[in-house]
Amino acid sequence: MQALPVFLRADPSTVRQWIADWPSQFVWFCVVSILLGAGCYGLVIGSWRDELQAVYTGIKLPMVLLLTSVGNGLLNGMLAPLLGLNVTLRQSFLLVLISFAVTAVLLGSLSPVALFVIWNTPPLTGLTRLWSVEYGFLQLTLATFVAGAGIAANMRLLPLLRKFSRDARSARNVLLAWLATNLFLGSQVAWVLRPFIWDPAGPSQFIGRQYFKGSFFETVFNAAWRLIHSF
Amino acid sequence: MNIDPIPGNVPPTIPPRTPISPAPGLQKLGENPEEREPIPNMVVAIEAVLRQPRRIMYQLRQPGSGKLIGSMLLATIICILVYGLVVGSFSMHDQLWAAPVKLALGLLLTSLICLPSLYIFTCLSGSQARLAEMVGLLSGLLMLMTLLLVGFAPVAWLFSQSTNSIVWMGVLHLLFWFIAVFFGLRFLEAGFSHTQARSAAGLNTWIIIFVLVAIQMTTALRPIIGTSKTFLPTEKRFFISHWGDNLEKAAKDSRSPD
Repeated sequence: MQALPVFLRADPSTVRQWIADWPSQFVWFCVVSILLGAGCYGLVIGSWRDELQAVYTGIKLPMVLLLTSVGNGLLNGMLAPLLGLNVTLRQSFLLVLISFAVTAVLLGSLSPVALFVIWNTPPLTGLTRLWSVEYGFLQLTLATFVAGAGIAANMRLLPLLRKFSRDARSARNVLLAWLATNLFLGSQVAWVLRPFIWDPAGPSQFIGRQYFKGSFFETVFNAAWRLIHSF
Repeated sequence: MNIDPIPGNVPPTIPPRTPISPAPGLQKLGENPEEREPIPNMVVAIEAVLRQPRRIMYQLRQPGSGKLIGSMLLATIICILVYGLVVGSFSMHDQLWAAPVKLALGLLLTSLICLPSLYIFTCLSGSQARLAEMVGLLSGLLMLMTLLLVGFAPVAWLFSQSTNSIVWMGVLHLLFWFIAVFFGLRFLEAGFSHTQARSAAGLNTWIIIFVLVAIQMTTALRPIIGTSKTFLPTEKRFFISHWGDNLEKAAKDSRSPD
């Protein structure tokens, strides 16, 4: 618990020392932070629908972060030295995990705010539709929290990356490459594991079979295509 | 009393120039002792191409570089077979073996087709590199490219299991391929810059040829993602016409009611 403020301040020298001295303990620290922080936030956002959805989202949200960091671990580890960052595969995995852990801790700290937003949002009824204002508002607010936490966490990562790189440009390039890969895979993992808030198609399910069909980007592209052709 | 700080007949002293160590890219290969360490096996070669590409470039100039080239080609074949398995997992069944075989075959054929022009073009550019060194640099390009494709494999697998759209998967694999080729070509260009070539025009022309041949190879060996009754296509086509037809078919499918 005492380590949390130091971790959040992300002092480059201290974190670098942690990575070097206690790599396995540090991994566990990050994993537990993700499970607790994102889990808390997931519980809150799922609670708008019902208790079961809250439990499911509380499990699924940390899963998105962990699966994304593991799925991209090898790729991120290869991109780092190619773009000028002097880190090993394990260190690059840890650095990405740190950014996710900071995101999760931030989300955890925003959970009471999110709960307050949900408490003030009209409850889910039989009349609620996907295009209902309250659902749209909730989606937008909760997604803004996630985006804000993600941006803040990555901004904390930049000075740390500078510590490992030859110059500021390499650090920035690596951060952008990691952001792109994590956003790309993270979006699809989240797409597969949906719903996080609500799905009108049926009762609360951990993952419905229909959610393995289609991809996030395909759906966005098709929606944009239809929109362009409607004019 | 008129005091002149700099006497008229004495020029101002210019501070001595502090020696600036050149950037790693401009240093002569082998100046760093780490680069002179031999590369005994495939694992070290993989590590070196990611972290110390100059070590590979230096070792390719040494006698007995054939073993290193062999290691890099072996790593390339293993990596492309792994990525091919992921590509084949979209259609499953026969494509699980057909896609890896076609990708490995296509990559080796593309390299063989383009190797003579690479050597000739680099010689025309004034490069002093031997054929073995160019073969080594090409092997390094292939190894780095396929290594990155293996890095993309978990992402590609997730999308393969999620979508039914061949066009979407084709676009995704092409995107990954282009990113991997970009880094591979960067390695080749870095190696080429140490061969005392007068210009990079020859190499740049060769890069265009290589990319076009590789893309056409995917059409010549189709289907790699989807399925077919025959292992190889019965109709000859250019990749632009093949892609155009696929995009048109996908657009028709998306317009038709479910």
